[in-house]
Amino acid sequence: MIPGALLDFLEGRGSFAVAGTRDANLVPHVHYVSGWLVEPDRQTIRCLINRAYLDGLFGSLEDNGQFCLTVEQIGTHETYQFKGMYVGSADLTDADLAAHHRASQKFAKALSLFVGYPEPVGRSFIRRPDVIVRFAVREVFVQTPGPVAGRRIFPSEEP
Amino acid sequence: MIRGALLPQEIRAVMDNGVPAVVVTCSADGVPNATIVSHARYIDESHIALSFQFFNKTTRNVRENPHACVALNDLAGSAQWILGVQYDHSETQGPIFEEMDMRIEAIASVSGMSGIFKLRAADVYRVKSYRLLSNEDSIE
Repeated sequence: MIPGALLDFLEGRGSFAVAGTRDANLVPHVHYVSGWLVEPDRQTIRCLINRAYLDGLFGSLEDNGQFCLTVEQIGTHETYQFKGMYVGSADLTDADLAAHHRASQKFAKALSLFVGYPEPVGRSFIRRPDVIVRFAVREVFVQTPGPVAGRRIFPSEEP
Repeated sequence: MIRGALLPQEIRAVMDNGVPAVVVTCSADGVPNATIVSHARYIDESHIALSFQFFNKTTRNVRENPHACVALNDLAGSAQWILGVQYDHSETQGPIFEEMDMRIEAIASVSGMSGIFKLRAADVYRVKSYRLLSNEDSIE
C-alpha cells in the first residue's frame, strides 16, 4: 500500500503531474495528467488523461504495461515518481471529474502565485480528461532536487 | 497537429520562456522514467540541449537507450511541443555549456535552489520528430 505521507502529498500538495510509457521499441512517450485519484486499495492510482496525449499510450500499455507518474508541488519542487503496471482503464465518474477540478485549481493557483499567470491560463492548461489509466504502484522514488533525489522510498531501500 | 524533423523558429520562444520541461526516458530493461528538467536549450533546427544537473535515472537511461521524449510547455499559448529526440553527446565546456550554466544559476536563484541546482553537463539530443498540441487537439 502507498504510505500515508505519500497519500497526503497526492491528495494535498501535488499540483502538477505527468506520466510516461514506452513502446515495444523502448521509445518513450509523454502523457500529461489532468487529475489523479488513489483507489480505496491504496495501491492503484487512476490517472486522468485528455485525448491530446493518447499518442503511444494504449499501444504501449497493451504491449508491456509499464507506466510511471511524476507529481510535483510547484514552488517547493517536492516531487515523487510512482512506477508500476497498468491494470486497466475505466469510465470517468463524478469522483474523477472532481479530482480533475482539484488538479486544475491547484495548478492554476500555483502558477498564479509563483509565475504570475492569471488563474484562467492555468486552468485551461489542465485539459478535461477523456480516458483513465489505472496502474498498480510497485515503487516510489524521491525526485525532489537535492541529495536524496533518486532514492526509492517505497518499498524502502535496504540500509 | 504538425509533424516534422526540423524545428521551426517559433519553438525558440517556448524554450526561452523559463518554464520547466518534461523528459521521459526508458531504461534498457524497459522501465519508463518521467522527470522535470529546469532548462531546454535550442541549438539549431535539429538539435536541443537539456540541463544535466544530477546523476539520475534520466542520465543513466539515455546512455543505455538513447531514445527520449521531451515536452515543452507554452503556458501562455496553452500548448505543448512534444519532441521525439535521441541522445547524442554531452558537453562540459564551451559556449552551449557556459550559456546553460548561467541560465541554471539564474533559475536556481529565482527558485530558491542556489547550491542545489548545478549544471554538470549540457546533454545534446538530435531531434527526430515534433508535434504541436494546442487546445484544438483536446476538443472532439
